[in-house]
Amino acid sequence: MIAKKKRTPQLAVIGGGPAGLGAALAASQAGLDDIVIVERDIELGGILPQCIHDGFGSKVFKEVLTGPQYAQRYIDEIEKTNIEVLLNTMVLGISPDRAITAVNSREGMIRIEPETVVLAMGCRERSRHQVFIPGYRPAGVITAGAAQRDINIEGLMPGRKIVILGSGDIGLIMARRFTLEGAHVEGVYEIMDHPGGLPRNIVQCCYDYDIPLRLSHTVTFIHGKKRVEGVTVAHVDEDLKALKDTERFIDCDTLVLSVGLIPENELSRHAGVEIDPVTAGPFVDERMETTVDGVFACGNVVNVFDLVDYVTRSSEVAGRGAAEYVLQGRKREAPVKVLPGRNVKYVVPQFVSDLGRDVDFYFRVEHPEKAVTARVLAGTSPVKSKKHKMVHPPEMLTASATVADIAEAAKAEGRKIDSLMVEVVDSGKQA
Amino acid sequence: MGGSIQQSAPLPESAGVVIIGAGISGCSIAREVSRYTDDVVILDKEPDVADETTKANNAEVHSGIGEKTGTLKQKLNVKGNRMYDEFVEGLGIVLKRQGLLIVITPRTLPDSITGWLPKRVVHWLLEKVVPRLVIRNGKKKGIPGQTILSREEIFEREPHVTRNAIAGVFDPTYGLVSPYKLAMALAENAIQNGAKLFLDTEVTDIKVEDGAVASVVTDRGEIRAPIVVNAAGVFSDKVADMAGAGGFEIHPRKGASLLFDRDITADYVHSSVAEFRMFHKGHSKGGGAMPTAEGNLQLGPTAIETGDRYDTSISAEEIEEIFERFYYLLPDFPRSAIISAFSGIRAPTAEEDFIIEASEKTRGFVNVAGIQSPGLAAAPAVAEMVIGILHGLGVPTTPRADFDPVRPTPPKFSELTEDERDVLIEDDPAFGHIICRCETVTEAEVVSAIHGTIPAKNMDMVKRRTRVGMGRCQGGFCGFRCAEIIARERGIPITEVTKDGGDSWVFAGETKHLLAAEATDEAEQ
Repeated sequence: MIAKKKRTPQLAVIGGGPAGLGAALAASQAGLDDIVIVERDIELGGILPQCIHDGFGSKVFKEVLTGPQYAQRYIDEIEKTNIEVLLNTMVLGISPDRAITAVNSREGMIRIEPETVVLAMGCRERSRHQVFIPGYRPAGVITAGAAQRDINIEGLMPGRKIVILGSGDIGLIMARRFTLEGAHVEGVYEIMDHPGGLPRNIVQCCYDYDIPLRLSHTVTFIHGKKRVEGVTVAHVDEDLKALKDTERFIDCDTLVLSVGLIPENELSRHAGVEIDPVTAGPFVDERMETTVDGVFACGNVVNVFDLVDYVTRSSEVAGRGAAEYVLQGRKREAPVKVLPGRNVKYVVPQFVSDLGRDVDFYFRVEHPEKAVTARVLAGTSPVKSKKHKMVHPPEMLTASATVADIAEAAKAEGRKIDSLMVEVVDSGKQA
Repeated sequence: MGGSIQQSAPLPESAGVVIIGAGISGCSIAREVSRYTDDVVILDKEPDVADETTKANNAEVHSGIGEKTGTLKQKLNVKGNRMYDEFVEGLGIVLKRQGLLIVITPRTLPDSITGWLPKRVVHWLLEKVVPRLVIRNGKKKGIPGQTILSREEIFEREPHVTRNAIAGVFDPTYGLVSPYKLAMALAENAIQNGAKLFLDTEVTDIKVEDGAVASVVTDRGEIRAPIVVNAAGVFSDKVADMAGAGGFEIHPRKGASLLFDRDITADYVHSSVAEFRMFHKGHSKGGGAMPTAEGNLQLGPTAIETGDRYDTSISAEEIEEIFERFYYLLPDFPRSAIISAFSGIRAPTAEEDFIIEASEKTRGFVNVAGIQSPGLAAAPAVAEMVIGILHGLGVPTTPRADFDPVRPTPPKFSELTEDERDVLIEDDPAFGHIICRCETVTEAEVVSAIHGTIPAKNMDMVKRRTRVGMGRCQGGFCGFRCAEIIARERGIPITEVTKDGGDSWVFAGETKHLLAAEATDEAEQ
C-alpha cells in the first residue's frame, strides 16, 4: 500500500480556476502559510485557458487580456508562494466537519482535514434536456463551452454547419470562433426578446461577422438519427411558447447550446451548505462564508458572474475571510438579511454577519430598464446609490458600501439596522 | 473454450442455433441455450447489444398486475418476476425489489361512472372498494403480498405524493433492473460459454428448403442452421416473413421517459409510484415515477402509436404529457433537475400478446415476437419457454457440465471502499484518474469497457457500460476525454470515433482544415 499522509492545512481550496487562485493568493497574502489547492484538471486556470479571446481584466488590471494571460498572472503569483497545488486530483466528498476525500493516480485516496475550506468549483453548462428541446438524440448537439474546448485546446472541429441556440456570451463568442475557423454559422437563436450576452459581444461576435441574431426564437426539433441533419426553429409568443405556423427547417450538422450555466454545488451540498434556489449557489455573507462555519465559497459556484474580474474580487474576499477565520477566529453575530427590492432578481451576499466592515454587493436586474438608479438601503435610509443609463439582466451590477457608508445610514435610521435592501428605481422618480 | 465477439471476422458456415436479435429476449434465450450447447450464434444489425428497444426500456420488473388475465404475457410476467433473483445471480447485475405503490385518487374512476353518484359514495368507493378490487385482481393473477395502505400510510412512505390521494395498494414484488446492462451481462455470459455474437450484421433473407429453415443470409455472409430463433423485436414480423413463418404485423408504439439528477432526487420516491386510472384508454400501464438502480428519479413512459419503426424522437407533446401526469401525482417533482429524456419503440402485435411458438409453416423456425412490456419482467420465463421449444427441435436436453453461470465483472470504482480503491490504484494508476466527474468513473473502467467481452467501440457503448456521460453534465466535461481514450485504445484517429456507429461522427476534422479547403477552392477558381 502507498504510505498515507493525512494533510491538515490551514486552508483547502476546491478548484484551481480564477476563483480558487484568487482565494488562495489572498489567503496567503493575509498570512496563511499552509494552503492546498485541489484541481481536477491537468492544469490551473479553470475555463480561462480555452478563452483565447480578449476582454478579461478590465476591472482588476485596467487592461485587456486574453483568458490564458489573465490566468497566467495568478499562476505566476501562486508559484512564488509555498501553496501546494494538487493537479489531476478529484474531490469525491466533503463532510460537514470539512473532511475532504480526494483521489489521484499518484497518491491514490487522499484525506485532507483543513481548518477552513473555500469552495471554488465554478459552474457547468446547461445541457439539451434541461431546456427541453424535443427531437432525436444524434451526435452533434454540443454545449458552447465544450465546443470551445474542442477547437481551442484540442484543435478539433465539432462541426461544419452550425446553428447556435442561446445568446449567452459563450454562444456569441463561439459564433465568431466557428466563423473564423471556416465553419458556416447560420444564426444565433434566442428565446428571450433580449440578448443573453453582453452588448460588446453582440457587436463584436455577431454583427461584425454578419451572423444573424434572431430574438424570440427557439429550436423546436432536432433532426437526424445518427448525426444532426438539421433543426426546426420557430418564433415564440410572449409566454415563450413556440408558434407552430412559424416553424422552418434549417439544414445543419451541429447545434451549439449556450443556454445557461449552473453553479456546481454537489460538493457544497455534501458539506451541508444551504443553497439559494434563486442563484443556485450557497447563501453567503459579506465574507463569502456559507451557512456552515469555516466553509467559504466564491466565484461562479456562488452565482454566475459575467466578468472574471468579479470572480476574482469575490474570491479575494473569501480568501481573506478564510485567513481571518483561521488566524483570529470569529463568532458570527445575528445576520442581517439583504433583500432584493424593485427590479432586482437577486443580491449576493444574501446576508451580512458584521455591519462593521465594507461590503461588496453584486446583483442583477429582472428586466432591462433605462435611466435608473441602483441603491442600497438600510431600513429606509440610503447607504449607497449609483445612476445607470441602461441596465440589462445579463450584466452584473455592483455597489460597494464602506463601513462609513453603513454607519451613516444607521445614524440616519436612528435604530439598529435589521435588514438591507438593494433596489433599482427610475432616476427621475427617486426621492 | 470461451466464445467470441467477432465484429470483422467472417461468419461461421454453420451453427446449431441462430438467434436473430440481441435485445433482452435474444440475450436471455442465448444464455439459456448456452447451458446446453456452445453451437449458438447471435446476430444483431446494431453496433451493440440492447441497442434499440431494450436500452430505452424503463427498467421495471413488473409483477403482472397490469396485464389481462389469460394472456401469455400475463402468465410469463408473473412467472418471470418470481424467477428474477435466480436469473440475475452470478451476472453481476443489481436487482432492486423496491415495490410499487398504486395510488388511488379522485381521477381513478372516470367521470362517466362517478359523474352521477353522490360525492360521499364516490369517496367510499375509492377508499374502501377500489383497493379491495386491486387486491382481489392481484390474487387472481397469482401476485403475492399486496397490502392496502391508508392515505396517511401513503404519505409516510412517500411524502411527495399528492394530497389528493385517497388510498393505496402496495405491491412488494415490483423490481428494477437495468435492462441494457442485464442484456449485456446475459450475452457476455453466453459468449463466455461458447456462444458467438456478431454485431453490425443485418439479416437480409432466410432460406427455407423442403419446409424447413436452412440458412440465414446476412449482409456479411450466410450461415446454415437447422434452428433459427426470431427475437428481432420491432422487426420480428419482417424476419418471420423472410422465413415464410409470418402472418402477424408489428405496429410500433413509442414510449418516452424523463430522467432526473440523482443528487437531487435520490430519496424523492422510495418505491415505484403510479396513479391508478381505471378504464383509462391507451396501451401503456400508465407509467409511473420510479427510482432507478442508480438513484435517479425516472418518469414515464408515454405510449404513442407511430408508423415509423425508427422513430426514437421525443415530441414536445410527449414531454408535456409526462409533466401534466406527474404534476398531479407528485405536485412538487423537481422539474429543473431533469438531465435526460429518451424514447424507444415497443413491438406489439394487433393482438397485444406475445407470440412464442415453433412455426407450423417453417420447421426449425421459432418466433419470439410481439414482445413489449412486460418483456423485461417476463424475460426469464420467455427464455425457459423457448428452451423447451428448442429441446423439441433437437437442442440437447442435458446441461453441459462445463457451463459457467458466473460472469466476471470488472471493478467499479464508485462502489468500492477507500482501501479497495487504494489497492486498485497502486496496481493501475488509471483507477486514480477520474474521467466522468458526475458519475465518478475512472480511466481504468473506460479502458476495460473498450477491451471488454463485447468491446465498446463508440461513445454510447462506453457510456452504457461505465456511465461516462450519463450524469448531470451529460458529457459536457468528459465527452472529449472519452473520445480520446477510445481513439488511443483502438489505435484510430480521434476523428474516426463515433457516438453510436454509422454516421454519428463526433469531430469534423482538425481545426484549420475547413480554411485549408476554402483556400484550395479559391485557388482552383
